Amino acid sequence: MVINTETLDQLQGEPGWLRERRENALTAYERLPLPSKTDEEWRRTDVSRLDPNQFSRLEHLDGQKLLLPEALPEGVILEPLRVAAEKHRDLIEPRLFSLVHADRDRFTALHAALFTGGTFLYVPDGVVIDNPIIGQHFSHESGTGVLPHTLIVAGNGAKFHYLDEYIAEHDDETGYRSGSTEIFLGEGAQVGYVAVQKWGRNVWHFSDQRAELQKDSTLRLFNVTLGGKFSKTRVEASLVGEGSNAELKAIYFASGEQFFDFHTLQDHRVGNTRSDLLFKGALQDVSRTVYAGLIKIAKHAARSDAYQANRNLVLSDKAKATSIPMLEIDNNDVRCTHGATVGPVDPEHLFYLRSRGIPEATAKRMLIQGFFGDVLDRIPFGHARRLVEAELESRIG
Amino acid sequence: MATQPKIEVGSDYKEKYGFFVPEDFVFKAKRGLNPEIVKEISWMKKEPEWMTKMRLRSLEIFRKKPMPTWGADLSVIDFENIFYYLQATDKQSKTWEELPPDIKATYDRLGVPEAERKFLAGVSAQYESEVVYHSLQESLTKKGVIFTDTDSALRDHPELFKEYFGTVIPPADNKFAALNTAVWSGGSFIYVPKGVKVEIPLQAYFRINAENMGQFERTLIICDEGSFVHYIEGCTAPIYTTDSLHSAVVEIIVKKNARCRYTTIQNWSTNVFNLVTKRAMAYADATMEWVDGNLGSQITMKYPSVYLMEPGAKGDVLSVAFAGKGQHQDAGGKMIHVAANTTSTITSKSISKAGGRTSYRGHIKIYPGANNCKSFVKCDALLLDDESRSDTYPYNDVDAENVTLGHEATVSKVSDEQLFYLMSRGITRAEAETMIVNGFIEPFTKELPLEYAVELNRLIQLEMEGSVG
Repeated sequence: MVINTETLDQLQGEPGWLRERRENALTAYERLPLPSKTDEEWRRTDVSRLDPNQFSRLEHLDGQKLLLPEALPEGVILEPLRVAAEKHRDLIEPRLFSLVHADRDRFTALHAALFTGGTFLYVPDGVVIDNPIIGQHFSHESGTGVLPHTLIVAGNGAKFHYLDEYIAEHDDETGYRSGSTEIFLGEGAQVGYVAVQKWGRNVWHFSDQRAELQKDSTLRLFNVTLGGKFSKTRVEASLVGEGSNAELKAIYFASGEQFFDFHTLQDHRVGNTRSDLLFKGALQDVSRTVYAGLIKIAKHAARSDAYQANRNLVLSDKAKATSIPMLEIDNNDVRCTHGATVGPVDPEHLFYLRSRGIPEATAKRMLIQGFFGDVLDRIPFGHARRLVEAELESRIG
Repeated sequence: MATQPKIEVGSDYKEKYGFFVPEDFVFKAKRGLNPEIVKEISWMKKEPEWMTKMRLRSLEIFRKKPMPTWGADLSVIDFENIFYYLQATDKQSKTWEELPPDIKATYDRLGVPEAERKFLAGVSAQYESEVVYHSLQESLTKKGVIFTDTDSALRDHPELFKEYFGTVIPPADNKFAALNTAVWSGGSFIYVPKGVKVEIPLQAYFRINAENMGQFERTLIICDEGSFVHYIEGCTAPIYTTDSLHSAVVEIIVKKNARCRYTTIQNWSTNVFNLVTKRAMAYADATMEWVDGNLGSQITMKYPSVYLMEPGAKGDVLSVAFAGKGQHQDAGGKMIHVAANTTSTITSKSISKAGGRTSYRGHIKIYPGANNCKSFVKCDALLLDDESRSDTYPYNDVDAENVTLGHEATVSKVSDEQLFYLMSRGITRAEAETMIVNGFIEPFTKELPLEYAVELNRLIQLEMEGSVG
């Protein structure tokens, strides 16, 4: 069924302003062209075989299953986004899709028009939540659209951890999936955010994550990409307040015919800001990955410190990794370094282990675990760390 | 205490390099670009029919290809307002004494004869679009080395020429390669026979001297099996108020076990658009080295590349860019690994000051089947003030097995600690900064012949004075 305003009728019971937004986004979707290979961002990312109309039936309308800490401190709002849109319009309307712009491209527009479920989390000034909040997004059926959107607002000095898990009931499902996140960090806020994408192996997945960091705030954002035959993730952090600090980390493990695309942006708008990015991935079989990242340091953003690295471990002869780390630096009083590597398991390391009687397969597995080891340690909280370790274990095994 | 000679660059540049002699042309084609002008150029040069046809075909390709949308802004180039061909004197000179006096005066000021006396084997200096001065040491001729201008090569060595011309960079490669193929004139042609090692660098000076004149030289270098040659290209240009276009094509073939080094110091005046395609094919166990320095021009877009065609081939790009006020140096390198067991390195050093912008743009491509390749890219950028800008755009595509690819880049300012160390020893800030900048590009300067290294150090020093500190 062709996606049009009737598709929106599946999303009943929303306030008028939100419906209007969706209609505008739908217009943008209809107006925007399909990205083609002549667009730099899409040169290596082929979406010509995707027909979203196939997946116009939406699922998971009210969204998430939340695993909550036992009791939330007073003032914290944690609700399905569609529900919260009615009750907390003043908090949501100015922020929703203000970081992830609906008209950026055809797919962000589609997400903004049709997003289903998702979560709104508001943590007031000074509130600290000890246990992580976990949002789980399930797809139950094949051939549907599941498009959760997470909106997180951290007040000044707020401190908490949040985990988004995208889970497929059946690993062989097809469909259209997107999981986008907007995070607002108030002054001095400290947020740990982890997204674990394990949709089925045959879905199309698009994700736009963008955070805005005010003065002295700290974001530790971690992505784990495992699912989808096609997965495109944008991770962007705008450092708009002095003393803010963004740590953007990711691991990905591609096998079979999977294609993963990552575009990152470390946008230093003001001085005395810090960002640290590390994306590490392993590739098997005939999988392909593309990483393109940009560090942008604005004219007056003096004393900024930015780091960006992409490391790829290519485990098969036919797998292919492309890595494009870019810099645009407009200020001289900065420290800015980036690096990228693409390569197989180091034969010397393998030789060392084998000379100690370890079979090749085991040795290789140990080396892959070692490769991911340093970045796994950077997962901001224990629950997510254990989850990711278990997921990796089952895939490397 | 260290003392350094103080020379102001901005103030005496016009006298030193920016002079120009009155125009005295034998033939000057009309402004603009159309099939008639292309035919006229070809007719003037008494070229064979295949070349005329190739020029016309290239013109069509040039017309069809869109302007590149990436890199620097090229929209200000007015292709209809450029002279595509000029010939300053009517015959080739064999010795320095035979040169017309005004042209000789130009080169005297550039110091060409002195350089020649010292160590140069042959000078093939390009005045306007035609090579007018040309000398070749007897020893080279004896060894069978051909070092001539490209127009003479087409006339005197037609078979060799036709075999290789346009094979490394076909006209359809990019818009500016098409333009060059349509209107090319001058440039150097070098053939080094099997096993011959040319021990002394071959050198040519280039100059643009007429207002609004495009210079489209075409260089073709063939290193036969086991040979070696080092070619040096250096440029200075007078200052004019309207924009000048320089769009050269350099093709190099390095056969089995041969080695070629191509050194450029580009110092066009800051109104020149320098859009150059440089590419080499390296065959089994051959080595190709580009040593590329970009100091002048308003906009440079230049990415010397090496196609590593057979196992054991090695490619090397060493690039230095310096962007001052109003300049944009968009430079870098490309390594295309076609065969297995090939290696490449790109080292880029860039310096921006007074609002200048340097961009590193590179591409490492490893084709399917090109297994066991190694490639490493290192880019360092130095920003001397907070108005300047530095970008890094490396593209890495790996399609083969067991490939090791690395990329590293840093952007920084002159380190306070280094400055403090030098200044605490009584060196002034300006001198200390000059020393640090010269140290920064040392990996590049040490690859240059002594005379060039000295010249480059002085140029950097000139650029630094009065701007920093």
